[in-house]
Amino acid sequence: MSAAKKKVAEIISLARKEGRSELLELESKQVLAVWGLPVKRTELAKDPDEAVRLAREIRYPLVIKIASPDIPRRSEAKCVKVGVGSELELRQAFSEIVNNAREYKPDAKILGVTVQEYLPSSREVVVGALQDQSFGPTVWFGLLGFWVELLGDISFRLAPLSAEDAREMIQEVKGYPVLQGIRGEPSADVGALVDIIQKVGQLAHEFPDISKLNIDPIFAFEAGKGAVVANARVFLGGSK
Amino acid sequence: MTPPELKAFFEPKSVVLVGASELSGEGAVSAAFFRSLAYNISKFKSGKVYGVDLSGKLEKYEKKLTKVPKGLDLAVVSLPKDLLKKNLSILLAKRTKALVLISGELEPKQKEELGNLAKKGKLLLLGPKATMGIINTGNGLVAAPYQALAPRQGNIAVISQDGGLAAAMLDWVCFHGVGISKFACVGDGLGVDAAELIRYLAQDKKTKVICVYLETVKEGRKLIGAISEATKTKPVVVLKGGSEDERIFEAALKQAKALQVQGIEEIFAVAEGLAKQPPMHGNRVAVITNVAGQARLLVKSLVKEGLVPAELSAETTKKILNKHPHVSILGFIDLGIGAKADLYKFVGEQLLSDKAVDGVVVVNAIKSTLLEPKDVREISAIAKKSKEKPVVDLAPGGEDNLHVREVLADTELPVYDQPEKAARVMKLLGMRGKILEKVERKI
Repeated sequence: MSAAKKKVAEIISLARKEGRSELLELESKQVLAVWGLPVKRTELAKDPDEAVRLAREIRYPLVIKIASPDIPRRSEAKCVKVGVGSELELRQAFSEIVNNAREYKPDAKILGVTVQEYLPSSREVVVGALQDQSFGPTVWFGLLGFWVELLGDISFRLAPLSAEDAREMIQEVKGYPVLQGIRGEPSADVGALVDIIQKVGQLAHEFPDISKLNIDPIFAFEAGKGAVVANARVFLGGSK
Repeated sequence: MTPPELKAFFEPKSVVLVGASELSGEGAVSAAFFRSLAYNISKFKSGKVYGVDLSGKLEKYEKKLTKVPKGLDLAVVSLPKDLLKKNLSILLAKRTKALVLISGELEPKQKEELGNLAKKGKLLLLGPKATMGIINTGNGLVAAPYQALAPRQGNIAVISQDGGLAAAMLDWVCFHGVGISKFACVGDGLGVDAAELIRYLAQDKKTKVICVYLETVKEGRKLIGAISEATKTKPVVVLKGGSEDERIFEAALKQAKALQVQGIEEIFAVAEGLAKQPPMHGNRVAVITNVAGQARLLVKSLVKEGLVPAELSAETTKKILNKHPHVSILGFIDLGIGAKADLYKFVGEQLLSDKAVDGVVVVNAIKSTLLEPKDVREISAIAKKSKEKPVVDLAPGGEDNLHVREVLADTELPVYDQPEKAARVMKLLGMRGKILEKVERKI
């Protein structure tokens, strides 16, 4: 077994041991990072001082989110702060988020907050994987926002898949011109997305007990500048 | 992967047909099927034929299954549930290699027993509910319950999961004179399934194109694997029915390089094009016509399919106009209503040797012109000579199309009655071309 595969298996088995059917945000991102995907740097801070120390490494502005296995819908719980710009703001954001979390769910287990870099605006896409009853591991792709939510503009392929299949998936969605660049905008880094889709396919293929995987969003930068996973959720199925 | 050994189905050296000719009420369907089967099987001359009529009425048919020798290649059975229940074990004891269960529901216990035998490789089973049976035009085996069914011999294989669709497809090919190689109705797929049939047909030398009607799929990966393998050597055209969200299924078919169509008419239009003409490498299509209106409609359809009207090279244009100054070259090549076969042939040859042309559609209007169907037969010579670029014929209309179809029946020039259809076929010939280019790059 490759080192990456071993590490992913470890993360999954730890979650299983703790009776969880979903990985924590940090674990989900760790799985993807270990698997070779570009993942936005995310660190756990147990207290405000640790958050401040991490912020000096990651650099402001930041995105701060609650780290709790009991609060999956963090925006709804008002547990996300975007564009935190200074130490003062960071300390305020920390206590505010933790307070909101306690209010939202008093018995929630709170591990602290996650501290991540705040990335400039870019085109946002989603990549997911699922285990289809008849066809097995399958990956899907779409453009974030109304393309996926309103139009159901999603393309599918069975995993594992070739780079050519992944590229076709991207070109197949109706929103593809957005990635090519409209109104004089430069094109997005499709090659980086192809790589992400292929790796997700390989992951779903090698780990059938990952029942569902949503990477939402992925920031796609200009051609040549890559793409980065900003958030991911990994769900475990069955009981292995 | 070696293909599954399905020879006993398609090339049996001995066949036994089992049924009951006189049943009323619930079993009447089986009886009617059986009588048609008996007629069709009587035409099979490439092997020994035995018959068992449990009603004891048919001439030369045995009254009991016990009279039939052991170890025959193929048994074709059309019995209602209760009679099947009584006779299945006798039949199995005969150790027949392959069994086609045309009609008859099975008891759950029988189903399990048959399923187990099939899984262990002790029995080749098609069905139950393989309502339309099995056909091989190459040896005259028509084990289908449809009186006097005689599809033309050709190189298109047809598989259907559903009996009703199988019947409609057979009806279509017989009525329109589409030549088929082999045919099988899968039914419940308890034994042999669509995937195994596809793998077999992929290796079948008599088959150039595989047409499949699919509904539900239990083992999706197996099916997709079989199609992926087959499309490396020959086109697989899929018509898909069903109700659930099909996006994953359709994506998987795409990934397997299957060509997907939307109806029976389209599946055979495309299959005939693929069977008779080479795939198209590129998207530039030249149109030769003797009437302008049809050509305009055709060009519109070609563009809608993502194809491009070919712009002839200066050299080709000069060659044509020098010899035939009245010809108009503007988006399409209009020969005028006086054009006969020789002009079509001359212009067709120039187009096919022009590097700026990837494929040709020949439009033949009959009623308003001096062209006659027999001219079109002469035109088919250019399609025969063209090994790299496809040529298809559009003979628009009803009666005119019928006449042209008749004279072209045994040629390699496929003929269509509507511009949309001709355009669709060119599009799919182009898709097949692209698929082959990718296959070659990988090798």
